[in-house]
Parts: sequence; structure tokens; C-alpha cells
Amino acid sequence: MNTGTTRSDDNPTHSVFSNKGMWLTYVLVVYFVHLLLLSLPFISTDIVWTLTNAIHALVTYTMFHVTKGTPWPTSTGEERLKTQWEQIDFGRQFTPTKKFLMTVPIVLFFVASFYSRYDKVHFFFNLFFLLLTVVPKLPMFHGVRIFNINKW
Amino acid sequence: MAIVAATWDMYEMFQAVFQAPTYHLIFEALLILWIIKLIFSKSYAPGKTVLTEKEKEALIEEWIPEPLAPDVPDDHPVLQAMNNNIISGKADMYVTIRGKKCINMATMNFLGMVGDPSVEAVTIKSLRKYGVGSCGPRGFYGTMDVHLELEDRLAKFMRCEEAILYSYGFATIASAIPAYSKRGDVIFCDEGVCFAIQKGLVASRSLIKYFKHNDMEDLERLLLEQQAEDQKNPKKAKATRRFLVVEGLYNKHGDICPLPKLVELKWKYKLRVIVEESFSFGVLGANGRGVTEHFGINVEEIDLIAASLENSIGSCGGFCCGKKYVIDHQRLSGLGYCFSASLPPMLATAAIEALNIIERDPGICQALRNNCRKVHNGLSKLSYFNVRSDPLAPIQHLYLTEPSADRDLDMCTLQKIADEAIKNGVALTLARYLEAEEHHLPLPSIRVAVNAKLSDEEIDKVVATISEASKTVLCTSSL
Repeated sequence: MNTGTTRSDDNPTHSVFSNKGMWLTYVLVVYFVHLLLLSLPFISTDIVWTLTNAIHALVTYTMFHVTKGTPWPTSTGEERLKTQWEQIDFGRQFTPTKKFLMTVPIVLFFVASFYSRYDKVHFFFNLFFLLLTVVPKLPMFHGVRIFNINKW
Repeated sequence: MAIVAATWDMYEMFQAVFQAPTYHLIFEALLILWIIKLIFSKSYAPGKTVLTEKEKEALIEEWIPEPLAPDVPDDHPVLQAMNNNIISGKADMYVTIRGKKCINMATMNFLGMVGDPSVEAVTIKSLRKYGVGSCGPRGFYGTMDVHLELEDRLAKFMRCEEAILYSYGFATIASAIPAYSKRGDVIFCDEGVCFAIQKGLVASRSLIKYFKHNDMEDLERLLLEQQAEDQKNPKKAKATRRFLVVEGLYNKHGDICPLPKLVELKWKYKLRVIVEESFSFGVLGANGRGVTEHFGINVEEIDLIAASLENSIGSCGGFCCGKKYVIDHQRLSGLGYCFSASLPPMLATAAIEALNIIERDPGICQALRNNCRKVHNGLSKLSYFNVRSDPLAPIQHLYLTEPSADRDLDMCTLQKIADEAIKNGVALTLARYLEAEEHHLPLPSIRVAVNAKLSDEEIDKVVATISEASKTVLCTSSL
């Protein structure tokens, strides 16, 4: 069914991350959030990077792994119980988009570790947020709801 | 202090790399390996079944192609009806079947709007102004002023905030249900609903729970079951919408839904109520506003009312009405609205004129009810038929008092009675269904449609003719 465009898929969530410029936009948004945090007084660079990592992790976790369904009225409800991540690229694994989205938090972890001079406390927080973003993206967690959290 | 950040220099930073703890370096090395693995992994779709060559061949072996068009026997009832029921002229109160002028008790022209001279005059005028078709869907150059006027008038007539116009009566409810109810939702539905509703239910992909026709205890049993299930899993319940779909006046049974009890259950069990009023709109209630007016229930208690304009109004198309935010949803989600050419403007004008007539003189609805009562009383006295329809219903179903075990035989008997009645000047029709596809197939019946403009003599003639015809057919066949 067409919704005003030539796209014949009734759920744009499937492909929105494959749109031109989407990856660049994603990186730029993260960078601008980082700059915003840097501009705050009384916060040192190491904390800013760990904060950037944390905010990125929490926001993308909510976006991809908590939010379910699709906002488009054309869908007949197949994806009501699927998270956004499970809908991206029709649920295919290791597509370029998914590889990109998995790489970004790892790179953020490297940068945050570097700027925090490999401090133990920072490592602990960065590791936690790294796992929070990468683990649910792994293929073996596709459609898995541990302890029925967020099942409905 | 913000200044601290600026005083770090890169040299010191890189020094830190060499002093990094070993566990950290090992972890980062693993992550880099993971990224490399990620880059070289091939994408795949999970859960895709891969068939072996043997399984493929077995499937191909099993497949039997069906003919594109099935063979139709020459004595198929539809083919016979096509030959026998050729009418000439208009199908209004009198209809000419193969040259024989009959009182029309077959067309659902309850208020006599088909063949009304003022409706015809207005429609012809509209035809000269707008032409025949509207040449596009409503959202794509297909909206004319008369469509907006008709929607406005219908909303005002039904005392709702907004109405939406469909171009085909069947598509109205069949589009309205799937616009709201989706996969994962639950629909409670009366067993006796018409075919259009059944198709809407299927298209919604929701879980359908049928309750026995007009049986409120059975409905409450289902609702309690659902409630127990919801309490077991409150999170699932939160994501599930519950709908109740009923007809105001049932086409297949000719009786009225117990709306006060339904509204009570709606509030008790938190349901969204959809009432299909194709056969009660223009029929029930002092001003013809349908089943809500009949029971004196505020129309705001019903979430959505859908009705066809093809019965009482005698035009084409259908409409839904209700709260503005409920109805507006259909302008992008009602498939029959979005993807179908809009109602021909002249038919919209015809519907407006029919509404004018009803609003000018609501007595026409009273006249219809009087006629329905008279027809009901007359038919109830017939010895060969059972009448279980409501006395107020313009659709009266005549069931055989002594049906045989064979449905086809009963259909043939009833068809013979109808043919005999046509010979004597009363046009009758059988209630026909797509028997293989109906959810709950009613018994074979003759469906008598009452017209408000029938006079007492005409009603007497109809009853007498049906009585005679049934006697002729049933007595000769039993000999």
C-alpha cells in the first residue's frame, strides 16, 4: 500500500536508517550532544566523554530496544510486539545499517576510555553502557525478552 | 574547573595509553577483533526455513492446480435467477418482472426513496451539473461540494460531531473495522452479523470472539473470560484494544440489538462499541436516527456508527459517524475511503434530498413502522411460515414451519413459492448468502422488505398472495 510516496512498504521503520545521510546525521547528533556537554562549565573532559557515552547508550537503548511498534497508521499491526531494532531491515542480521549502529558505541567506548586516561571508575561506567548498547543488538537476542521484561 | 580540560595536552594523553592497565588493553583488542568480524559477517534473515531438494519436490508433487474459472452447472440457481428475474423499468414500489407488474417486496427501499419524484428531479439536475463520476478518490481531486455537504448533513442528522462518506455500502463497515482494530486486538461480535461485517473482521486480523445472536449472557461469559485473562497478564491487557461489533437491526434475522444492555457492558468491561446501522438508519427512532434514538440512548455513548445509504436512503454508498477524532482517523486509514473513487456527486445529491424528505416529515418513519407492524401481523398468521423478526423491522424473514433436513430442498420449495407469488403480482426474493463463506448460516427464508408507501389494501394483497402461493406449492408438492 502506498502512503503518498512511491515506497511500497507499509512500515517505513524497516528502511529509515538506510536513507541517504542517515548515518552522518546520527554521528553529527552524537557529536553535537558532546559539544553541548563540553560547553557546560565545571565538567572536565573525561567526565564529558563518559557522559556522552552514557547519554548515547540510554537514548539509543530506549529508541531501539524499548520502543515497540511503528507510528505509521498504514501498518496492520504485525510489528506491535517488535522493538524498533527488530524491525530495522526487516529483521535481517548484520546488514550495513546494523553493523554501523553496533560499531558506533564501541568507538565511543574507545574514545571515552582514551579521554578518561583508562581510569578504573570510568572504565566501569563505560563498560556498563557499552554492554547495554551492544548486547541487545546481538543476533542471539533477536526477539528475546529476558524475564518477560518489555514483553507486551 | 573547566580550565583543567584545556591544560591537558595530547602528549600526556598518549602517555596514558602506555600506562593503561593490561585488562583494558586486552578488552579493547577483543573489541577491535569484534569490529573486524562484524565487517566481514554476511547479512542473513533469521528464522528462514531452508527446504531440501527432496522437500521441494514433495511440495511440487502435492500441488494440484485449481481451474481459473470453476465449471458452473446449467441449473445453478444464480443462472436461473438471471433468466427468470429480468425486470424492466425502475425497481421502486411496483416492479415489472418479465412483463408482469408486481408489488415490490424484494428491494430494501424502506422509505420509498427509490422512485421518489423529487429525488429523481434533483438527481437529474445534479447529473447535468457534475456529470456521472467524480473521477478520483476523495483525497485526490474526487471531493465535490456535495460530498462535504452530505457529510455535514449526515453528522447533523445523527447529532454527531463528524461523518465520513464512503462510495460503497459494503466497503463502509468492511473498511471501518480494520481502520481501528489491528493484530493483537480482540473483537467481540454477534454471530448474526451481516457479510460485510464479517469481511471487515477478517481484514482486521484481530482475534474474533463470536457470541450467540443477541445473547447477552453469552457475551458476558466471553467478557469475563477476557477479564480473567487480562488480570493474569496486565501488561498484555494494556496493549490490547477490545471492540464490540453489533448490528442495530440484523439483516439476517430481522431483530433489534439490545443496545441498553450492550452500553452497560461497554462501560463495565471497557469496550469500544461499533454499531452497524445499515438496516436501522432511517427506520428506527421517531426521526429515523436509528437504534440509538429507538432506545433513547445518547449517540455519544456509541464510539462509531456505520450505515449504508443503499437501503432507507435509496442512494449509494455509506457513512460512518461519531466523535471528530475518531472519524478523522479514517480519512487516512479507511482503505475504502482512501483508495476508492468517491461517490458520484449525483448520488450524493440524491442522498441529501432523501435526508431533506425525512427531516421535513419524520412521519414517514412512523408510516414505515405502522406498515412493518401490519405486515408482521399479517405474516404471523400464515400457517406454513414462522416469523421471528421484530414487529418494527422492515425486514421480515419467513421460515418454513416444517423444514426438511435438506437445505437445498427448502431453498427450492421457497423459490417455488416466490415464483408463484410473482405470477400473482407480488415480487418476493429469498434471502441469499454465500453459503460456504458465511460464519453462521441462517435457515433458508423468504425475505420480505417493507415499504413505507404501501397502502393497507396492498399489504392485505401481499399477505393473501403469499398465503395462497404457499398453499398452492406446499399442498401440491405433498400430494
